[in-house]
Amino acid sequence: MDIAIATEGLEKAYQRRKRQNGFWAGMRSYFSFESEAVAAVSGVSFTIRRGESVGLIGENGAGKSTIVKMLTGILVPTGGRVETLGVVPWKSRRKLAQSIGVVFGQKPQILWDIPARASFELLKAMYAIPDEVYRFTYDEAVERLELGEFLDTPVRLLSLGQRMRCDLAACLLHAPAVAFLDEPTIGLDVLVKERVREHLVEMRRRFGTTILLTTHDLKDISATCERLLVLDRGKLLYDGSREGFQARFADERTLHVELDGGANDEAKRALDGELLSDGVTVVWDGDRRLRVDCPRAASAPKVTAAVLRSLPVRDLTLQGVELDAIVSRLYRNGGKGTA
Amino acid sequence: MSTALPVPSASQLLSGFGALAFRTAESKLTYRLATVLSLIASGFAYCVYLLVWLAVYRENPNPGPIGRGAMTAYLVVAFMVNAILTLSLEFRFIQRVRMGLVGIDLLRPLGFLPFQMAQGVGDALVNLVFVVPIFGVGLFFVGGSLMPPTAGAAVLGAVSLLLGFVVNFGVSYLIVQASFVLQSGYGVIFTRAALHQIFSGLAAPLVMFPDGLRAAATFLPFRHVVETPVRFWLGMAGPSEAPLLLAEQAAWAVSLLFLGELVFRSVMRRHQVQGG
Repeated sequence: MDIAIATEGLEKAYQRRKRQNGFWAGMRSYFSFESEAVAAVSGVSFTIRRGESVGLIGENGAGKSTIVKMLTGILVPTGGRVETLGVVPWKSRRKLAQSIGVVFGQKPQILWDIPARASFELLKAMYAIPDEVYRFTYDEAVERLELGEFLDTPVRLLSLGQRMRCDLAACLLHAPAVAFLDEPTIGLDVLVKERVREHLVEMRRRFGTTILLTTHDLKDISATCERLLVLDRGKLLYDGSREGFQARFADERTLHVELDGGANDEAKRALDGELLSDGVTVVWDGDRRLRVDCPRAASAPKVTAAVLRSLPVRDLTLQGVELDAIVSRLYRNGGKGTA
Repeated sequence: MSTALPVPSASQLLSGFGALAFRTAESKLTYRLATVLSLIASGFAYCVYLLVWLAVYRENPNPGPIGRGAMTAYLVVAFMVNAILTLSLEFRFIQRVRMGLVGIDLLRPLGFLPFQMAQGVGDALVNLVFVVPIFGVGLFFVGGSLMPPTAGAAVLGAVSLLLGFVVNFGVSYLIVQASFVLQSGYGVIFTRAALHQIFSGLAAPLVMFPDGLRAAATFLPFRHVVETPVRFWLGMAGPSEAPLLLAEQAAWAVSLLFLGELVFRSVMRRHQVQGG
């Protein structure tokens, strides 16, 4: 197995000066050296194979960006082990830089005052990108991300969406072995997000790029990643497939039912009698529509059969809980899943 | 895990360095009005030095070992040298530290020191372009005394200017490290500016200074940024002094870069790139 990234018990704690709010507290802080250790990342272990595309998610402050910074070598861990492409990132940062690409969302990767085309040419020289690779990555980015109309406009005059597209193109121009994308779709509209996702999929298909993507938009994950790492307050809460995550944390499915004619009270009572003992909830929307919420413990086929037996069903849809809903519930519960 | 990471070749590093220097110059030229205005403003400020010294010579024709004509030439050339070597490096860097953008600079295959130096070269290139016409104006008013007396003096002046650039960059690179540690480097920048103003020989050749200050200047790198190149250019220091002065400049340049890199490694172990 060819490993791109490996961490073992990775830790990062910051020393932070203690300071109260206000003018006098600010003055007092000149004479006080009290500080506290803040653990940003605690005991995180995972490996990512070459060519894998992995989503790293978690609430704000969960430690996602800190992990990306340690994996790229711009932060030194306070504990544990980390290797990216076979080297310790902070010890071999310069060597590693040639083989990785990084996007830090909302932080311009390219020179602010000159057009993106000039920055791309600068990166071609800096990374010594072979002509045939550059031709492909440049053309692919210009076409897929629709950069053509603003390539010659100074970057500072571009909109956020245009700039983010240029940043992503710049990050992948040298066809890096690993791309660290820290919120690359932040602030983008739906169409642009789709283009960005398509570009990532294409670059991965063409170059086998390993992708580590942190995002708050779970559609990015659904479109580009087959594996999820979920962080909660610096700790790894889940490491596995997207489907596995849904199976583990989705605590219910919903059956949407449309009836062929109204249901009488007797039929409703009969259905309740069959289902309530399993913790199933039936919510009626008039006489012709109902929603049946099934907890994970309840058998979906059994619930469906009961509905079909009790009611004149015209149409029926069984819906699992979307990734977004599971994650938002996890965040609300402070990382405590229902598993 | 595979360990065969491609290592950037020397030609790649050189080509990246050159490309970054030219693109930095291109960026700087974007703000042409601001660049010209700041040059004019510093020119006006510098005229004050000149006028003060002319007043001193009116009162006392022999205030020290340098005559009025030589002093005028020295001050004009010192202004040119200082203008060429004024780099935007520190302010640019502070801004990047505050906005958490420095992480991006750290992840370029060029390496952090060459990355910063290439930008410094870009700054100096633009400065040079603007200083050439100003030198022409100086020639018109002051005359041929601004020119080197011999071809050898011109060569020594140019070599010394290059070394002066590295010394100046070395000091800036240390300021950059201080910005990392302090998360805001304005204090150290202003301190450095004050020391540079006094000890670089910008206000007058160090030979005109009181003994104490002159002695202090010999222990600091600043005089090798302005005074040494100007003395070579104007023939105030000849070939006999060249080996020692150039060796001193080179020693300061190497020491500052080495120290900067040492501090950088230590800072990197503890620093925190701001923002998520």
